[in-house]
Amino acid sequence: MPSSNIDIINVIESKLKDKVQIQLGQLSTATIITNNGLHRDVLRAMVEADEKTAITAITGIDLGANIGVYYHVRTSNAFLTIKAEVPKDNPKIQTITDIIPGAVFHEMEVMDLLGVVFEGHPNPGRIVLPENWPQGVYPLRKDFKASEVKLEPPKAEAKTSDEEKLVKIIIGPQHPALLEPEKFAVTVDGETVTKVEPRIGYVHRGIEKASESRTYLQDVYLVERICGICNSIHACAFVETVEKILKTEIPPRAKYLRVITLELNRLHSHLLTLGHAGLEIGYETLFQYFWRDREPIMDLIELTSGNRVLSSVMTVGGVRRDLKDSDIPKIKTTLADLRKKLPFYRQIYENEPSIKMRMKNVGTLKREDALKLCVVGPVARGSGVDIDVRKDEPYEAYGEIPFKEIVYTAGDTWARMNVRMDEVEESINIIEYAIDHLPTGPFRVKAPRVVPAGEAVNRVEAPRGELFYYVKSNDTAFPDRVKVRTPTFSNIPAFLKTAIGENIADIPPNFVSLDPCFSCTDR
Amino acid sequence: MIDFTLIFRILVFPGFTFILLLTLFCDWLERKLEARIQNRVGPMVAGPAGILQPLADFIKLLTKEDIEPRDAKKIVFRFAPLVAFTIMILATCFLPIDGASALSASGFNGDLIVILALVTIANFLLFLSGWASSNPYGAIGSARVLTQFLGYDIPLSLLALTPAFIAGSLSIAVIASSQIIPFIILAPWAFVLFIITMQAELEKDPFDIPHADSEVVGGLETEYTGGKLAFLHLTRDVQIVFGAALVVELFLGGPYGPVFFGFPVFWYSLWFVLKLLAIVIITEYISCVFARLRIDQVLSANWRVILPAAILSLMLTVAMVTWIYPMVV
Amino acid sequence: MAKKSRVSPMFKRAVSHIFTKPATTKYPFVKPTLPEDFRGQQVFDIKLCVSCGLCSRDCPAKAIEMVEVEGKRRPQFKLDQCIFCYQCAESCPRNAIKSSVFYELATTDKSSLVLKPQASVQKGA
Repeated sequence: MPSSNIDIINVIESKLKDKVQIQLGQLSTATIITNNGLHRDVLRAMVEADEKTAITAITGIDLGANIGVYYHVRTSNAFLTIKAEVPKDNPKIQTITDIIPGAVFHEMEVMDLLGVVFEGHPNPGRIVLPENWPQGVYPLRKDFKASEVKLEPPKAEAKTSDEEKLVKIIIGPQHPALLEPEKFAVTVDGETVTKVEPRIGYVHRGIEKASESRTYLQDVYLVERICGICNSIHACAFVETVEKILKTEIPPRAKYLRVITLELNRLHSHLLTLGHAGLEIGYETLFQYFWRDREPIMDLIELTSGNRVLSSVMTVGGVRRDLKDSDIPKIKTTLADLRKKLPFYRQIYENEPSIKMRMKNVGTLKREDALKLCVVGPVARGSGVDIDVRKDEPYEAYGEIPFKEIVYTAGDTWARMNVRMDEVEESINIIEYAIDHLPTGPFRVKAPRVVPAGEAVNRVEAPRGELFYYVKSNDTAFPDRVKVRTPTFSNIPAFLKTAIGENIADIPPNFVSLDPCFSCTDR
Repeated sequence: MIDFTLIFRILVFPGFTFILLLTLFCDWLERKLEARIQNRVGPMVAGPAGILQPLADFIKLLTKEDIEPRDAKKIVFRFAPLVAFTIMILATCFLPIDGASALSASGFNGDLIVILALVTIANFLLFLSGWASSNPYGAIGSARVLTQFLGYDIPLSLLALTPAFIAGSLSIAVIASSQIIPFIILAPWAFVLFIITMQAELEKDPFDIPHADSEVVGGLETEYTGGKLAFLHLTRDVQIVFGAALVVELFLGGPYGPVFFGFPVFWYSLWFVLKLLAIVIITEYISCVFARLRIDQVLSANWRVILPAAILSLMLTVAMVTWIYPMVV
Repeated sequence: MAKKSRVSPMFKRAVSHIFTKPATTKYPFVKPTLPEDFRGQQVFDIKLCVSCGLCSRDCPAKAIEMVEVEGKRRPQFKLDQCIFCYQCAESCPRNAIKSSVFYELATTDKSSLVLKPQASVQKGA
């Protein structure tokens, strides 16, 4: 549902007439083909016209003689792709981090994996590959041979002096505050944080490259394992993208069944985060209560998909299993029980003094920073930016199901947790509506195994924010390029900003409130 | 002449062995209570209802490999936990448990100050054990322990003086035996403040920072393994028992209670243990229902709230005892 | 309730929980009941197999190997590589692979995790 009436195509046409080529209807709203550094002008025009312009992803793709650099940009009511190409033997392109600061991580990743040099980037360096990866070897290029990579033994880091040890505290890679390994070097002045330097990439498994050597059918299971918590949303995004290339329309019953699976996934993910936040502030009792109430949801996922965590119900053309009518009463009673427990948790967040002392005014992210850093998901909605892909660009059956978009304006940890708590209630509403209005009919159509040449983009709303997929096919059973941009990848720069000026003891709750999922981030 | 009775009293009952068994029992009770509040089961396999679980944990730790960092200060690293444990047991021996304390029949005037000093020394040794670890997390954790207990020692001493003032003596045995009306009724404000300050001294939620594993990994225990870690844990558990025992002595009338038949020794010990368990249950409940505060919030709570409240409470008690109670009692 | 209480409900709830039954089930003494289409260990019916090899070709984890048994090619499942997605059951044109609710597959003997196709029915739940 568009939230503004800015016609971004008109803006671009009026400012850059005849210098760029606009293909309407390609890759979502439009594709703009630029060259000679004009991508900066296009982006500047968009940013000036619409404050909600943000980079969703930057895809690098090996096109043979050239390397394509595609900028996927979202605005308040459109989603565009700006395509630029650089020659392989001189892959230089100008950076856009001065126009949109949130593009820092995205450019670093294309630098790392494809060797494109972004001139003017403030922080070029490794982001997903390890430090001892040989220079000049780029995994995502087509001429990459894994057997030829020889890793040097890692060099020991310079020994920090004792004074530096008390000033620069390293959190991670192994640390009880983090669920998954990442390293944050926090510089403190007394007890106040002055700078945070991240190093991600510890769980990089090369899933994007691995998906190029597996068939589309096998890739559904591969991308499902990018993240354990939000597994069905990854699978759903991937199959939707392939269905867009195939121009397949799935039956209505399949759409509703997909919504039910996705919302169950969102429920268990939000309850997990709410409990984990309690653990970080030392409130073990709250953690145990939330996870006890999460168990019936896991039982529901087991009932509807056959496994507690990895649901594996999505496939190209629909879903793999049907919802039995005999299961519906159990789903409804479980959801009704969960709904009855929510007022207790809301009252605790309202009234418990120690929670308010630890969470209010901690890690505040102002609205302008949220817009400039391109954050997504509950982090954005907690700071007053109302973006939600289920409302902005409805997919599956979300266009037909009524639900509220939850936005809080305070921007601190407390607001972000409250966004998630309210979204739990909205998810319960969505599932109940979907079950009551479940259409009859088939739940699957047959899809061909060989996908004709084409490309498509797709965005969905994962529990942590906007998840983006780009798939390019080349008329074989294997995809040519699969690009995944996960929500936490866009949200980590926000943490670097909110931690500054705060107490070091506030880092765990601040960090958990942006709901990091590093398996997603590193792929 | 060897005084076998004294040796028996120090080593077995009501001295070392009794305190150790009571510590293990209180540890089990705390874990079971915390589990039930959190809707879980708690220890259930080792022994009936899991009652042997703390002993099993202690023995397990003794069998683990003992690793020392190369840069640790050896003597302090090795002996600080043991000396802290010994001092805590010594401090607990001063408290009258079965009508008389383990060390002497009637105590001496001033042993309240002595045991408060002993507790401070034990806490300081715990700080030293973290400082000697040559690990940044150990250093930060032990620095927080030091800041916290030194800060809260002052209101603790002030509040401990309140029952001493009402009883007119600094000897614990005299304070305990002069409670015809338990002091919790005569000075309830001091009791409440004392419980809160004791939470902070014992480093339990909401003043749990030195054990906050999401920030300082293991705190002062980070580099400890094996037998030394077992003694650090045991020291902490004995501290909890000591704190509860002190509350019982100062505010709840010590071991004295109605004797129904038979040996007064048995009944005094029974009343002591029952009152102690009640206090342990109260502190564990408070620890379960609150989140952990930040170090600056803990310190500001101390200097801005607890210390002035302790001074006010002392003044109020002096006023009540001098002018009001003689008219009523 | 007309007036909202300003006291956290945790205090009362903590006390009342002491007297309620724990939410934990005492596994392994008490085992849960699973839904009947739970994706546990595979059950392979050799009488229905036509040796097409589609299960092995479509397996995302490359956990199925076609081996010679009595002159015909049959699938052999490596359970330590299997991801239990049941794409094999979907690809099989004769419905020879079915699921079971048997999930306690942990073992110290790696060879017991290889399901060899035999003329008799596979072990399972």
